[in-house]
Amino acid sequence: MLAVAARRLGSAVPVLLIVSLITFAMMHMIPGDPSTVIGGLSATPAQLAQIRADLGLDEPVLVQLFKWYGGLLHGDLGRSLLMGRDVVAVTLERLPVTVALSLYALVLTLVLGLVFGIVAALRQNSWIDQAAMMLAMLGISLPNFFLGLLGILIFAVHLGWLPTGGYIAFTDDPVGWLRTSTMPAVSLALLQVGLLARITRSTMLEVLRQDYIRTARAKGLPWRLVVIKHALTNALIPITTVVGIIVSLLVSGSVVTETLFSLPGMGQLLTQAVLNRDYPMVQGGLLLTTALLVLINIGVDMCYAVLDPRVRYER
Amino acid sequence: MSLRIPLLAGTAFALAALSGAQAAPFKCPKVGGDFVFGQEANVNSLDQMASNTISTRNIAMNLFEALMTRDENNNPITDLAESYTESPDHLTYTFKLRTGVKFHNGKTMTSADVKASWDRYAKVGLERGMFANVAKWETPDPDTFVVTMKRPQPTFIELISSFSVPIVIVPAEEAEAPAMQLKPVGTGPWQLVEFTPGSQVKLKRFEGYVPNAKYEARTGFGGYKQACFDTVTFRIVTEPGARVAGLKTGELQGVEDLPTKSLDDLKKDKNVTIAPLANWWIQVATPNTSVTPTDNLAFRRAVQAALDMDEIMDAATDGNYRLNVGFQYPNQPSYTDAGKATYNIKDPALAKKLLAESGYKGEPVVLLTNKDYSSMYNAALVMAEQLKAVGIKAELKVVDWPTSVNMQLKPDTGWNFFFTGYGTQPALGALATMQFFMPPNANYKPKGDVSDPELQADWTAMNEKPDAKDRQAAFADMQRAILEKVYALPFGSLTKVQGVRANVQGYTPFRIPRMSNVWFAN
Repeated sequence: MLAVAARRLGSAVPVLLIVSLITFAMMHMIPGDPSTVIGGLSATPAQLAQIRADLGLDEPVLVQLFKWYGGLLHGDLGRSLLMGRDVVAVTLERLPVTVALSLYALVLTLVLGLVFGIVAALRQNSWIDQAAMMLAMLGISLPNFFLGLLGILIFAVHLGWLPTGGYIAFTDDPVGWLRTSTMPAVSLALLQVGLLARITRSTMLEVLRQDYIRTARAKGLPWRLVVIKHALTNALIPITTVVGIIVSLLVSGSVVTETLFSLPGMGQLLTQAVLNRDYPMVQGGLLLTTALLVLINIGVDMCYAVLDPRVRYER
Repeated sequence: MSLRIPLLAGTAFALAALSGAQAAPFKCPKVGGDFVFGQEANVNSLDQMASNTISTRNIAMNLFEALMTRDENNNPITDLAESYTESPDHLTYTFKLRTGVKFHNGKTMTSADVKASWDRYAKVGLERGMFANVAKWETPDPDTFVVTMKRPQPTFIELISSFSVPIVIVPAEEAEAPAMQLKPVGTGPWQLVEFTPGSQVKLKRFEGYVPNAKYEARTGFGGYKQACFDTVTFRIVTEPGARVAGLKTGELQGVEDLPTKSLDDLKKDKNVTIAPLANWWIQVATPNTSVTPTDNLAFRRAVQAALDMDEIMDAATDGNYRLNVGFQYPNQPSYTDAGKATYNIKDPALAKKLLAESGYKGEPVVLLTNKDYSSMYNAALVMAEQLKAVGIKAELKVVDWPTSVNMQLKPDTGWNFFFTGYGTQPALGALATMQFFMPPNANYKPKGDVSDPELQADWTAMNEKPDAKDRQAAFADMQRAILEKVYALPFGSLTKVQGVRANVQGYTPFRIPRMSNVWFAN
C-alpha cells in the first residue's frame, strides 16, 4: 500500500504544476494589481506607477512567470507583496487555524451527521426521521454566513456565552480556543451535517434491506450489534467518499466563516490576497492548499482498503 | 457691585488664562487596562513609509513619530524636532532634535537615525517625490539635521509634516529593510507586542517614552502624549454587524465605521458613546476628457446641471453627509467656496438646454464604479438615474476597486466617469488634494496627459508663491477652474462614525484613532 501511496504522490506533481499555472494565469488576467491596495484610496496616479515599478509589476508577464517558476524550482514560493513576508512562513502560520477549525467542524459533522442519519434510517417515516431530516434540510439551506450572524446575535449579544469574534490558539489556551472556535465551527459544520445525515440515512436504508442483515437478525444477533457491526460497517464506504468531499468543503467553506468571525486562517488569508491581488501569496498559498487537499484525497483512498477488504490496490 | 463682578470675572479669566499657559502637562487620570479597538480593514504591514493604507496608519501612527507632524487643526508642528529654522535664502532647513528620545529598543535617537530614516524613505517611501527639490541632508552633530534645497520651496515644511505617508524615524540599524519589511521599532508612546495579520495587533505602553515637553496636551498626531492603558489591542473585525455586536457587549471598547443603520439602536445604549467624524472624505466623480462625449465641455456642464447632490449623497451615505463645495472642508483655513455657482444646480431644464448645445448624439456614457465601497456604487446608481432623466444614455460599469483604479489610469478602457473618494488628501490641505489634477495621469484624463494651462499655472503658483495668501488665492483659482470646466464632480462630504464604550474617556475622533491620552474611567 505504501508503494501505491508513493505512486499517487508522484502523480500529484503534474496536478500541482497545472494548478500553479492556472492560478498564475488567472491572477494576471484579472485587471487591477496590488499598487491600488498599497497606495490606498488616496494614492495619486503617479504614486501608483511608482509602486508598480518598485514591485516589478511593470515587467512583462512572461518574465514574471519565469521568475515564479525559477523560485519554485528552488523551493522558494516568493514573498507576499503586501506583508513583505515569506509565503511559506505566512501559510504555515495560518494553516493551523484553518486545520483546527476544520477538524472541530469535522468532528461535529461526523457525530451529528452520523447520529441523525442512523437514527432517521432506523426510525424511517417516524416523527424522529422527519425531525432529523428537517434539521438536515435547514442546515443545507441556511447560508453559513447567516447562521454565523444569528449565532453572534443569540450567543454573544443576548446570552453573552461566547465572544463575538477573535481567535485564541489551542496551544495558548484550550478553553479560550473552544470559546472562540465553537460558533465558527458550528456554523461551518451545519451545512455538512445536513449533507452527511441525508447520505447516511439513504445508505443505511439501502444496507438494512440487504439479505445479510436479514440473515444476521434471523441468527438472533442483538439489533444493536447488527446495526453497528453489519449495517454501519458496510455503509461506511460511500460515507467515507462523502467525508472526503466534506473535508474539502470545510476547508473552502472556511473563507466566509473566518472572515465573519475574524479568524486568522487560510480562508481569510487567501480571500484577502485575491482581493488585494497579492500574486505570490495567492499562487503560493493555493499551491500549498492544493497539496494539502491532494494529500487528504490520497488518505481517503487509502481508507477504502482499510474499511473494505475487497479493495486491494497492489494487484 | 455691578462693576465689581465683571472686574472679578475678568481677573479670574486672566488668572485662568495665565495658569492655562503654565498648566501642568497632561497626566493620565487613571492608568491600566486593555483597550480593544475593532478595526474594519485588515492590516498587512506596519511599514509606515511604504504603505498608504488607513489600516496601517491606524496602528503605525501610535508606534512611530516623525520630525514634524500636524496639530489638531492640521497646522505643521514639530514632533521629534525640538525646533527648526529656515535660512534667509530659503535653501536650508536646520532641525534641532529633541534630546533623550528613546527608541523601543532602548537606543537613544540621534541625527544618524534621522539621516538613515530619510535615506530609506528616499528609496522606498511612497511620497518620496517630495524630495525632488532636495539637494542633500547632513548631520553636523548628533542633535542637528540639515536639509539643503536645490531651489526655494515654500511648501516643503507642509510636505514633510504630512501624515499621509510620513517620514517616520526608525533606528539606523533597521533602516536598511526593504519595503514592507521594516521592523516596527519607533519612538512613539506605544510599542509592538504582537502582530498577527488578519487577526489582531497588540501594543503595550512604552515605559521609556519621552513626551514632547514643548506641549501640555495631545494635539493632532503630536503634542504631549501619554499612554494610559497598559495595552491596546487592534482587532480586525471586517464584518460591520460583528463590530456593532462587539461594542454592545463590551468585548470591543472602541470601533470604527459603525453602519448608519445601527446608530439609532446604539444611541439608546447608555454604555455606548457615538463619536461621529465629520468630513471623512469627499465623494467625487471625475470625467474622462479624452473620450466622447465627456471631452465636450458643454456636455460636462449639462451633466453638472442635472445633478441633485442631496439625492446622491443621501443614497451614498444612508443620510450621513454634508453638502460641501469643492475640495476642502469649511473648518479648514484653506477652505474656499470658489466655483460655488457650479455646485448642486439640479436644473433639468438647463441640463437639457446645455445637452442640445453640446450636440450630444445619444452615445452611451459609462459610469465606472465598484461595490467594494458602497458609497461609490450608490452615488453612481443615483447619478445614472439623474442623467437618464435629462436624456443621457448613462450606463453603470461595476467592477471591483482595484480593477476600477487600474481602468481609470488609462483613458481608452471604456469609461466616462470614475467614482472615487478623496479621503486623506483633503484633510492634509489644498496642495495634497490638487495634485490629483496634475500629470502624470491627471484624474480628468486630459488628452495626451497634457495639463490644462490654466490649472498648470495655478499649480505652479500654489507651490512657488512665497506668500501663503498668494498660494491660497492660487488654490481658489484652481478650484474654480476645475469646477467650471467640470474636471471633477465633488458631491459632498461623508461622515464616518466611530464609537466607544461610555467608560472610555479622552477619546476624540480623528482621522486615525489616537490611543494616547485616553483612559478608562472605571
